[in-house]
Amino acid sequence: MKLVSKLFIALTLAALIFAAYQGLFVAPTEQTMGNVQRIFYYHVPSAWTAFLLFFANFLSSVVYLIWRNQKADAVAAATAEVGVVFCTVVLVTGPIWARPVWGIWWTWDARLTTTLVLWLIYVSYLVLRRYSTGTQTSVLAAALAIFGFVDVPIVYMTIRWFRTQHPSPVIGGGSESGLDPSMWPPLLWNWLAFSMLAVILVVARYRLQRMEEDVEEQHAQAALRGSTR
Amino acid sequence: MKGEFALKLAYTVTWIIQLGYIGYLVSRYKRVCEEMKDLKRTGE
Repeated sequence: MKLVSKLFIALTLAALIFAAYQGLFVAPTEQTMGNVQRIFYYHVPSAWTAFLLFFANFLSSVVYLIWRNQKADAVAAATAEVGVVFCTVVLVTGPIWARPVWGIWWTWDARLTTTLVLWLIYVSYLVLRRYSTGTQTSVLAAALAIFGFVDVPIVYMTIRWFRTQHPSPVIGGGSESGLDPSMWPPLLWNWLAFSMLAVILVVARYRLQRMEEDVEEQHAQAALRGSTR
Repeated sequence: MKGEFALKLAYTVTWIIQLGYIGYLVSRYKRVCEEMKDLKRTGE
């Protein structure tokens, strides 16, 4: 492993520890919800990171469809998988936060339902990539990724378009909304730390994808050599 | 469910998911490395 990679991993670990400390101990206690509101510092940055990863998946899918670039296809596979991991964190931490605050684990309101649909779209994308054996798998996956990404802005806008059980937007929600200034540093630290973790995971998953493609190609060549003997 | 417990649970579950995924990547990486070694051995 290169020195730069080791340094980046060490920095990420330090950022994750510092960000967790910020969220748990430095951020002020919210007046109505109390300490449970601190889930916000993991829930929201995970959602933002998942959105960014799905956007990267969308871009690399477009690049793949235009230029049939294998590296873009590998980036698409990596970003989708890591995006699903972060989206899973959102879908799990949300109900854990909802239970003590709303009194329910789940409700079929617009924000929650569209987020679940988003997760299902990208899980189906991964299933397609994993189990489809045809030569057009990458093309089909790229097409699904482009249409699937439409759900990301819908998820973002649901709490602006509809009255939902989920709270109205606190960030970018108009003149009457807003986050206490002292809550911003813990939020941004956690987002930075999760984004750094996402970069490490995407790079690792990308390399793995390229290695697996290499192995597959070598298997195919070995089979070809065997059949021509 | 009490708020304090929910907070601890949410942070713990987040790390179980993330570390679980890292473990999954490591196991896949080991498998590919073994396959590469096998391919090299059979190719020689």
